[in-house]
Amino acid sequence: MGILSWIIFLPMAVACVLLVLPVGAKATRNGAFGVSLVIFALAFYVHEHFVPSAQMQFYEQYDWIKSYGITYRVGVDGFSLIVLMLIATLLPSAYLLLWHNERSKSYWISMLFIQSGISGTLFSLDLFLFYFFWEAMLLPVFMIIGLFGSGNRVFSTLKITVYTIMGSLFMFVSILYLGVSHYYEFGIWSFALSDLVRISSLTQVQEMFLFAGFMIAFAIKIPLFPFHSWLLETYSTSPTGGVFLLSSIMAKLGVYALVRFTMPLFPDLFVAYARFFIGLGIFGLIYFGIAAIVQDNIKKMLAYSSASHLGLITAGVFSLNMQGLTGSAFLIVAHAIATGGLFLLVGVMQRHLGIRPLSALGGIAKRAPWFSVYFAIMLFCTVGIPGTNGFVAELLIVLGIFHYNPYLGVLAALTVLVAASYMFWVFQKAILVQSGNDVSHMRDLSLHEIVGLFPLAFLIVAMGVYPDFFLAKITPTLHYYLDTILHVGANA
Amino acid sequence: MIALGCIALGAVLLMLLSAMPKVRMEHCSLFAFVTLLIGLILTLTSFGELFTFFPLPKFFHKMLIVDSYSVYFDAIILSGALVTSLIGTHYFQTKRHFKKEFFSLFLFSVFGMMLLVHASELLSAFIALEIASLSLYVMIGFQKVHDKRVEASFQYLVLGSLAGIFFLLGSAFVYAGLGTTILGEMGNRLDTLMGKDVSLVIIGATLILVTFLFKISAFPFQNWTIDVYDGSSLPVSAFMAATFKVAIFGFILRLMLVDFDPIRDTWDTLFIVVIIATLLYGSFLAIIQKSLKRMLAASSIVHTGYLLIAFVSIGYAGESAASSIIYYLVAYFLSAMGAFGLISYIAADEHVRVTYEDFRGFAHVHPYMAAMLSVFMLSLAGIPSTIGFVGKFYIFTGAIEAGYTFLAVCGVVATFVSVYYYFKLIALMYFYPACDSDWKDVPSLKGITPLTIGLIALAIIWGGIGNTFIAYFPGVDFLIDTARLSYMSLFIK
Repeated sequence: MGILSWIIFLPMAVACVLLVLPVGAKATRNGAFGVSLVIFALAFYVHEHFVPSAQMQFYEQYDWIKSYGITYRVGVDGFSLIVLMLIATLLPSAYLLLWHNERSKSYWISMLFIQSGISGTLFSLDLFLFYFFWEAMLLPVFMIIGLFGSGNRVFSTLKITVYTIMGSLFMFVSILYLGVSHYYEFGIWSFALSDLVRISSLTQVQEMFLFAGFMIAFAIKIPLFPFHSWLLETYSTSPTGGVFLLSSIMAKLGVYALVRFTMPLFPDLFVAYARFFIGLGIFGLIYFGIAAIVQDNIKKMLAYSSASHLGLITAGVFSLNMQGLTGSAFLIVAHAIATGGLFLLVGVMQRHLGIRPLSALGGIAKRAPWFSVYFAIMLFCTVGIPGTNGFVAELLIVLGIFHYNPYLGVLAALTVLVAASYMFWVFQKAILVQSGNDVSHMRDLSLHEIVGLFPLAFLIVAMGVYPDFFLAKITPTLHYYLDTILHVGANA
Repeated sequence: MIALGCIALGAVLLMLLSAMPKVRMEHCSLFAFVTLLIGLILTLTSFGELFTFFPLPKFFHKMLIVDSYSVYFDAIILSGALVTSLIGTHYFQTKRHFKKEFFSLFLFSVFGMMLLVHASELLSAFIALEIASLSLYVMIGFQKVHDKRVEASFQYLVLGSLAGIFFLLGSAFVYAGLGTTILGEMGNRLDTLMGKDVSLVIIGATLILVTFLFKISAFPFQNWTIDVYDGSSLPVSAFMAATFKVAIFGFILRLMLVDFDPIRDTWDTLFIVVIIATLLYGSFLAIIQKSLKRMLAASSIVHTGYLLIAFVSIGYAGESAASSIIYYLVAYFLSAMGAFGLISYIAADEHVRVTYEDFRGFAHVHPYMAAMLSVFMLSLAGIPSTIGFVGKFYIFTGAIEAGYTFLAVCGVVATFVSVYYYFKLIALMYFYPACDSDWKDVPSLKGITPLTIGLIALAIIWGGIGNTFIAYFPGVDFLIDTARLSYMSLFIK
């Protein structure tokens, strides 16, 4: 077993052991945290030994279902590496922030299963395997929201499950269709990505349908504009950990899968419909931005602002040039860190103050200075203040879109500013200004929360000040995507 | 073949034994179990080999056949019966109304099903079908709790006999058209008749198909399913849903693949309509049910729809579609057996109907049972990491391979609807606080029944994950390979 398999299966194995052993919630939590640190170490090892090139590295392959050519094959390239590092860094931090939140064993067990699921999704290079993890990942999320959510949680759990499974099933049909086409064209069964990209027998119409199958699945997960109706309910009923996972990891995996699978499988359609998806992305940016302004609940507001940024990320991916793609990769990281951090902080606040509307907050800065400082850093990153990685990322994406089409670029540039500026208003109203509301129960962050958030804050600043360091390993991969897969040229 | 004889002998012996006053019900149950076990072991000796022959040709005149195909189905039917008796152990003990004859009838029905997959002639197939059905009619009536039992038994008896008549009439037409009722020879004669008028054969075969559609409860012959399953005791429902369907498919696949191959295209449109209607109506029925048993019964109609998708794909993707049916039958058999079995175990001591609402907060009181029940639901819904997912994968792949992408999409939509009614149970079990006293009567996890159910749950997960990491252990590949092998044995001349 190679190192990637360890990263995938270690959390699952530990979860199974902890599930059977008669240990309490605390021991399980410590175990989960320990595992996340080990995973971080492994990921760091992968990062250090990753040679900056477009090749798949740490490649592993085993037969799985031989009669259909289904294999277990995993590997990392520059793009998955950056997402891997993101997840490996975020999870220990998140665990520290959730330390006192959840006192149930099954919560931490589910978290471990989810960690396995996301790593598996990230490394899969066989479409069957990918679908396997993609769906299996949903079950622990289902459990976390259903068991630990608030409000009308059962309904919203069923809703998100049915919704996402609907999307994935369309993708499933597309995957099967590709497999069968490969069989008819080459005479052997295979579901490996590297084999399926060679299919040339599909007609335009067939490709359109298959492309749509994939896009629906990813658009629901991200979520892109017309497929977002699960978002609000799910985010507002989920427990903190659930929201954190959905917004900063699962949504990013949607974008990741878009690049990993739809780009090489349907390069022509990817280029042909780029304009449409940029438009959809920018529309989402504006639409969700406006929706965020009118919310009176921080969690709901963050949910929409998160969707708004994901629109921008999608637009960057489809801008088909180096700036846009780099910017998207960068914003995936920046936004995951910032939104994840914000959701976790809001979780801390809810633990002290209960669930409150925005209008019942105010004057938190005085009671909780550490909290406010971290909140501010995350917020600046989300808005894209110079000096944070959010700024670098958004600038690159806007440049990329501008490169693609100046009008769209101008539109994107304007809306980025408008859509994010309401965040300041929230910050001012909820944190800074003294109001008559009673916030005396609010307490500042404890030591492990401060420690847990430090890496995130550090990354925000470090990536903002010195982005080249973080781009070195990903650039060859992105060049490869543009030159070899899409044939649009990296410097076009 | 010896296995078949062993079961028949066991059934007759048990019938005689049960007349003796000294023999108690437990003895009969044990006797039936041992007979089935011997039968299974005998079957497994020739499992996984490629062969075909007619046993005692002078005596049976090609009425029976023994090949890898029938042995494969024998193995499924016998393990189904074994699992039924294991799962039912607890149920039979707590519900005292099961008489000793029940087990004799049980063996007779197993014998009928095995005979059906060995049948190589239309009339012997009919006799086999009736042996199995008649035993089942009585088994359905064998309970005293449910006031619907007589209705269920009679409904099945009357409708089943009617369906049986279609089979006879169809055989007569086929005989009129071809001059023979022996499988294999019918196919040869049909080949020579190609280009001429074969409408008699088509009418006959269509009538036989009506019986088939009735027995597997496809649209528009599905109405009996819910009432009959609901009215019979749970182990019997499980036995019918899982095992009987296997036997029916076993025979009809042989008939279609070997004999009616040249005219199979005739029914394509008909089947497509039937499939879509079955999926739609079955899903609708499953959604509106409040009782779990009725939901499982209704969802079995949907699973029939999936199987029919593979059935119609056989025309263009023969090998993979046929083996996908066989594989899916195993997958469905495990999941349904587990679900029915576990619910019968939970509800054995109570006289209430088992509804969704009864399971509110169940997981907090009985975590292991809830986990197992969740595994069965996930497998029925076809979620990855369960055997149900792999089964659906094969069926949909076969459909796309055959060019029926539209049907695959229909199947996917039905799957997506099914997520709702299967996940509803999981949500109810886990996401609500436990009611205080509702589940005190549930027996603890001891004895043979829960052990069997637990093993089934493990098998479901094992079948879904496969044998990537542990070589030389039968997994997904092994099952699909033997399914292929048994398919191949049909065409040995």
